[in-house]
Amino acid sequence: MSVKPTQNSNRTEMIRELSYAQAINEALHQSMELCDQVVVLGQLVDYKAGIFGTTTGLVERFGSDRVQDFPVSENLMTATAMGASLTGLRPIIVHQRLDFMIYSLDAIVNWLSLWRFKSGGHSNMPVTIRAIVGKGWGQGPQHSKSLHAWFAHLPGLRVAMPATADDAKGLLLESIFSETPSIFVEGRNLFSMRAEVPAKPYRVRFGNAAVRREGKDLTVVAVGSMLPLVLRAASTLASEGFDLEVLDPRTLSPLDTDSIFKSVAKTGKLLVADPGWASFGTAAEIISRTAEAMGTDLKVPPVRICLPDSHTPMSAALESKYYPDETVLIGAIKKML
Amino acid sequence: MTDPADIELNHRGIARIGRYQHLSIDGVEPNALLTLYRQMLRLRRTEEALIREYHPSDEMRCPIHFCIGQEAVPAALSTLVRPDDYLFSHHRSSGYFFAKHAPMREFFAEIYGRKTGANGGRAGSQDISHTASRFYSGAILTGAVSIAVGVAFGLQHQGLDSIAIAGFGEGATDEGAFWEAMNYVGLKKLPILFLCENNRYATYSDQLKRQASDNICERVLPFGVRSKRIFGNDVVLCQRTIAETMDYVRKGKGAALVEAYTYRWNGHVGPENDDVNEYRSEEEIQFWKNNCPISLLEERLLEAGYLDVRLKAVLESEIAEEITAHFQFAKESPFPSETDWRAMNWEENSPLADRLLATVSRSDFDERQTDAKLEPY
Repeated sequence: MSVKPTQNSNRTEMIRELSYAQAINEALHQSMELCDQVVVLGQLVDYKAGIFGTTTGLVERFGSDRVQDFPVSENLMTATAMGASLTGLRPIIVHQRLDFMIYSLDAIVNWLSLWRFKSGGHSNMPVTIRAIVGKGWGQGPQHSKSLHAWFAHLPGLRVAMPATADDAKGLLLESIFSETPSIFVEGRNLFSMRAEVPAKPYRVRFGNAAVRREGKDLTVVAVGSMLPLVLRAASTLASEGFDLEVLDPRTLSPLDTDSIFKSVAKTGKLLVADPGWASFGTAAEIISRTAEAMGTDLKVPPVRICLPDSHTPMSAALESKYYPDETVLIGAIKKML
Repeated sequence: MTDPADIELNHRGIARIGRYQHLSIDGVEPNALLTLYRQMLRLRRTEEALIREYHPSDEMRCPIHFCIGQEAVPAALSTLVRPDDYLFSHHRSSGYFFAKHAPMREFFAEIYGRKTGANGGRAGSQDISHTASRFYSGAILTGAVSIAVGVAFGLQHQGLDSIAIAGFGEGATDEGAFWEAMNYVGLKKLPILFLCENNRYATYSDQLKRQASDNICERVLPFGVRSKRIFGNDVVLCQRTIAETMDYVRKGKGAALVEAYTYRWNGHVGPENDDVNEYRSEEEIQFWKNNCPISLLEERLLEAGYLDVRLKAVLESEIAEEITAHFQFAKESPFPSETDWRAMNWEENSPLADRLLATVSRSDFDERQTDAKLEPY
């Protein structure tokens, strides 16, 4: 495997502000520069629009052998990435909407997730699957589903839900260059949001939650695209004298339960904000694990703020009721305080 | 005796030929013929031995899909496949495990659920793989065909001259994924050889209950996949056809498919007969047993004097000895005891990431930002 040397130290110290989409784009550029074995496959990845700017410039720089459009055959695309990984490639596949990825469930569930297991530990498939979740502007029931809980349910996969630009870059690079297959769920509503992003290629490890705000009154675990909303609510509540601790799990599989338990030990209260359906979902899992480990420490019953158990409506009038907003979130939190 | 060209190559046509008379050993080295013969005999005797041991001792506690009657294609392949080729098999895996020259004692240990098995007892017969031999299989079998396409993509992308080979039955071609694969390999001219062992039945279901036509080889042509169909119990013909087709694929000319009409003697799974389902006639079973791939070749070898009773006895005894040793290895091997479920399912080490990626301290996030404004697309 040919790997090029890292850049000079001047550039590696640099930190700039980038949007979430730009950070993903930079991670892809750097991964392809660092390692000839990285290839990007996906419908429309080699057009000017560049999947909301995330694949822009790749084909011009790395050529059409390494950045390839793919037939509208998601199942085969996933299997192609998997087989290619057995020959030493590091494939990244891209789904403009996570909903289309569902065509590839056989490849993911029956093969990718259990490949290492059934090989007896002799073989891994280092494949990265990027899946974008639409939100707003009438995306409706077939362009907005965030099925992160489905994938986190499966042994053998890692699931990342980066909420910030710097995590998007670091987790994507970590996914590409690690040996376990990764499902990388991107909230479309985050794409324009900016954060300070180091210029050099760096890693964010799976299974390490980030404390986004320290507090003592209540723990909010904010999953993926819920983070900005939760931080805004925490800021509003701070002005009213309530002191929330906000935890960003960053990855669901593995899940950093130690950090969650540590926070709940301090606050005694847990709310989970999850951009998925409530039933059998991520919030339920986080609350269940916390209750199992430290149920008697909870001063009030834990609360989930999730999507209603309904498919996403198109109409903006219903959309605004479907997605929890700051008012809903603050209302729920205040009842717990 | 009919001309081979007059045989209508599908299950209905083949059933009308009586005893197949066209196996020709002309121009083939005696040693090459004996290798084919030995490979088929070895596979047959192995399966028979496994069947004898399967019940009532029940030490092999896993489903095994036996391939008695289908020895010709794997035996032919075994003489042509290279160590650096990747071979993917259906759930009827033993023939292909043989064909890739993977260590048979690890096959035995695997189906006995032992630590020394090819996959430490986690996979069993229908999911077995041997990474060092580049051999893989799976029961959800069209998925294996699709992954083989990915291997071919990786080989072509890196300019390597090994190829991918996918062995499957006609049942796999019911799946949409199969046709996604045909579309893509035709488009990219990928170096992959598809070996379709058409044994007529998906479990019990007749191909013509599931598909409008029984000639898969014709349907792949418009995708740009070169194809050929053959009587799959003529091992010399199988070898010649696979060799020619493999040569085409190795030269980078594109993907190709060989459809070999053959038949499994046993039930779909396990040693028992499943004819209680009345899905096939006794006459049909007898026809195929009468056209046993081993006896078809054996007859010619005896006629030509390449094989005699004494040599056959030597082969039989070598094979029996080998099988006894495999059973002994499997039965004497320890059972797996590891219960580190995390390590079994997730690879924790990441040497490449360790080498390439820096660790940085985390930045703050400004929560005053609004959500991205989506556009119509």
